[in-house]
Amino acid sequence: MKLSRRDFVKNNAIAAAAAAAGVTLPVANTAMAAGDDGIRWDKAACRFCGTGCSVLLGVKDGKVVANQGDPDAPVNKGLNCIKGYFLSKIMYGKDRLTQPLLRKKGGKYDKNGDFEPVSWDEAYTIMAEKWTKTIKEKGPTHVGMFGSGQWTIFEGYAASKFMKAGLRSNNLDPNARHCMASAVGAFMRGFGIDEPMGCYDDLEHADVFVLWGSNMAEMHPILWSRLTDTRLSKPNSELHVLSTYEHRSTDLADNPMIFTPQSDLAIANYIANYIIQNNAVNKDFIGKHVNFTKTVTDIGYGLRPEHPLEKAKKGKGGKLTKISFDDYAKSVAEYTVEKASEISGVPKKNLEKLAKIYADPKKKVMSLWTMGMNQHTRGVWMNGLVYNIHLLTGKISEPGNSPFSLTGQPSACGTAREVGTFAHRLPADLVVKNPKHVAFSEKIWKLPAGTIPPKPGYHAVLQNRMLKDGKLNAYWIMCNNNGQAAANFNEETLPGYRNPDNFIVTSDPYPGISAMASDLILPTAMWTEKEGAYGNAERRTQFWRQQVKAPGESQSDLMQIMEFSKYLKVDDIWPADLVAKAPEYKGKTLYDVLYANGQVDKFPKQEVKDEAGNVYGNDEMERYGYYVQKGLFEEYRMFNSAANIIKKGHEMAPFEDYHAARGLRWPVINGKETLWRFREGYDPHVPKGAGVKFYGKPDGKANIIFGPFEPAAESPDKDYPLWLSTGRVLEHWHSGTMTRRVPELHRAVPEAVVFMHKDDAKKYKVRHGGMAKLQTRRGELELRVDTKGRNKPPKGLIFVPWFDESRLINKLTLDATDPLSKETDYKKCAVKVSKA
Amino acid sequence: MHITSCIVHTRPENAVSVQTALEEFEGVEVHGGQEQGKLIVTVELPQGSEAAETMTKFHAVKGVANVAMIYHHNEENEPN
Repeated sequence: MKLSRRDFVKNNAIAAAAAAAGVTLPVANTAMAAGDDGIRWDKAACRFCGTGCSVLLGVKDGKVVANQGDPDAPVNKGLNCIKGYFLSKIMYGKDRLTQPLLRKKGGKYDKNGDFEPVSWDEAYTIMAEKWTKTIKEKGPTHVGMFGSGQWTIFEGYAASKFMKAGLRSNNLDPNARHCMASAVGAFMRGFGIDEPMGCYDDLEHADVFVLWGSNMAEMHPILWSRLTDTRLSKPNSELHVLSTYEHRSTDLADNPMIFTPQSDLAIANYIANYIIQNNAVNKDFIGKHVNFTKTVTDIGYGLRPEHPLEKAKKGKGGKLTKISFDDYAKSVAEYTVEKASEISGVPKKNLEKLAKIYADPKKKVMSLWTMGMNQHTRGVWMNGLVYNIHLLTGKISEPGNSPFSLTGQPSACGTAREVGTFAHRLPADLVVKNPKHVAFSEKIWKLPAGTIPPKPGYHAVLQNRMLKDGKLNAYWIMCNNNGQAAANFNEETLPGYRNPDNFIVTSDPYPGISAMASDLILPTAMWTEKEGAYGNAERRTQFWRQQVKAPGESQSDLMQIMEFSKYLKVDDIWPADLVAKAPEYKGKTLYDVLYANGQVDKFPKQEVKDEAGNVYGNDEMERYGYYVQKGLFEEYRMFNSAANIIKKGHEMAPFEDYHAARGLRWPVINGKETLWRFREGYDPHVPKGAGVKFYGKPDGKANIIFGPFEPAAESPDKDYPLWLSTGRVLEHWHSGTMTRRVPELHRAVPEAVVFMHKDDAKKYKVRHGGMAKLQTRRGELELRVDTKGRNKPPKGLIFVPWFDESRLINKLTLDATDPLSKETDYKKCAVKVSKA
Repeated sequence: MHITSCIVHTRPENAVSVQTALEEFEGVEVHGGQEQGKLIVTVELPQGSEAAETMTKFHAVKGVANVAMIYHHNEENEPN
């Protein structure tokens, strides 16, 4: 039979889908259309969420013309979500920025002027003037940078070094603060080392999945498809979903549970209590591997100190006190099923069904969570309460038994967390307040003692408050859109950016809210317009080569940091006594000290080639004459892989290995990745005979940490009778800066709407499709009402996505944070609704 | 010619109703996978962006648990 071209293509399409699904079909199994004329194919990590899918990019005539899911990628096995499907289009929006823009009046910089195109030299010159003047007159705590979990690993590392070693300011924090900080806090408290012990393979090994505050179906669609596959194909598998409203993930649930916001604290403690009451504690495991502790309570809500809630608090901080198992059992004893049901509104039988599967030693359980648990004023506690359940039963660190914190950004793990772009951190889990860590870092970076300041800098939310208060004056926002992302836009963000004392710079490929509220905009080479690397939620580090050139004069974030460092003189930035300790740096620029240091510039310029012999560009190597990415990565490995490292467990392979692999999960020891940490046989750091060892802690034991239920910062009352919860939708990613420039995604979901229950709509005299006015104590917004859509809130709660810059929900949100992690609670504040 | 394919996950007991709903969209064919709850679906439309947009609408079909995109072919003026 002769196949037409159309039949051939269609059979390919069917065969590819069937192969990815593992479904056998009686169609002609033709080979994939390989070697399309003139198209060069290469792998890259996706630019969106923390899943870390690999895609194949097809480049022709200097443009990415096609992309598809990478069939060889262990993460996504050839699948794409709808955003990934349109991935390459994010680079080709009509309003890409192509040259620096500075606010000017009469030919000069003016905070109240209009944006005018300027040269890079003019841009860096005015920046250098502002930064130098600020540091000289006010000190390094008055300069700051807001970075990103979307930076490449190289960029985050270069930025961390630039801020902490170069400018000597710890006021560097990433947008991952809004996203992952609570997860980090809980890992450090519980295990002494960051990031999940398990990996995505658990999605096939587990019998039961429990979502705690995660709408995976929309936010992590590819992991969701793996979970769905297991649920549909494995006999007796189950899915339990805990959420504050119904959504697409609850559709598939065997046990959907809609709980009152904040009551997850009570539910988790009830499960621990159930396990104890029903003799399901794994006594051998807790005897060998666990310490019992409790945390300080009544710790406030991370608001400004003058807020009544902060004045009323009795406790402070996160100090842990050792307690006995019996003390712990007594602490959770009050969380009976009756009490948990009363606080949460979840029927007792559903709670019992959930508790039973955790208690059943024969069921392998994977718990998954994202922002519902992290963006929580008790986020660190809540993450810990879930680890408590897994530790009590010993269901941890083995295939299928896996508490798993999902991430929202492509390199929240690899960049923000691992290279230390937080205000308190240094690379590889080191911290600025530990003198040994600082001394070790200064030695690697060839700095005189006392260069890195020991006091943590301003975290994300504090940065906006300090901008408003005039204590942070020269500020660089890079690779994110915090103007749109930060809570309480009216009272904190905008007044801070427009404070006449401040000079604000935003680097972005597109003119988003942050850029438009700034004084200088720098055009950025994005994603595969540069060589890069990301680290995903399962500790997988993935590299890509530069595929295409960026438009106009755009420079990558890495190049921007390095270029700017050339405009800053050591003698201007460092105090004289510090320069005196390192006379070789006198008269040098920060570029000389940080990057041309004999390490970062160690690897000479070379050709970047793939296995097929295709040659790729590398704009940074071209400009600086050495392999910048390799130099940065190999210097970074001195923190995590050298013989004298302080904290083991983050080991990474040499640079080249990652270009050859579909990613590797750290620790990588002798070229071998680690799938399950802390378990003998899987993790080479666990000695023979130990079985399990939580080696992040000095005594090798993990902490079970008791924390009680405490109320939210702002709950509904008679004036503001509803909960407001915010989040994402499938089609858009974060502030929509990229996805709203993809026509298909924009048309699919053109505007943010308010999802609400039909009875609430009736009560507040609004209707489906009509407009409603939302008001909180901080701002108001008009939105179209949706009572029939994909999200179905219960009575008393409304949900609004935050991607839409023309309907800025963060005018309404409250900047309450977890006092431990400093992460904002975007899921809970009080709102009223009326007819617009 | 624009042909795209995807996998639509559904509970197997809902596969028939989901298939019926999907086939109401122009250019949609379901090729199998009902038993496993993994429908193999193609969309064939004159315009590539329309085919893709059809797939974005699958998410909203009752009973659809997930949609995974697989394959996209897009060529102009190709004789068949």
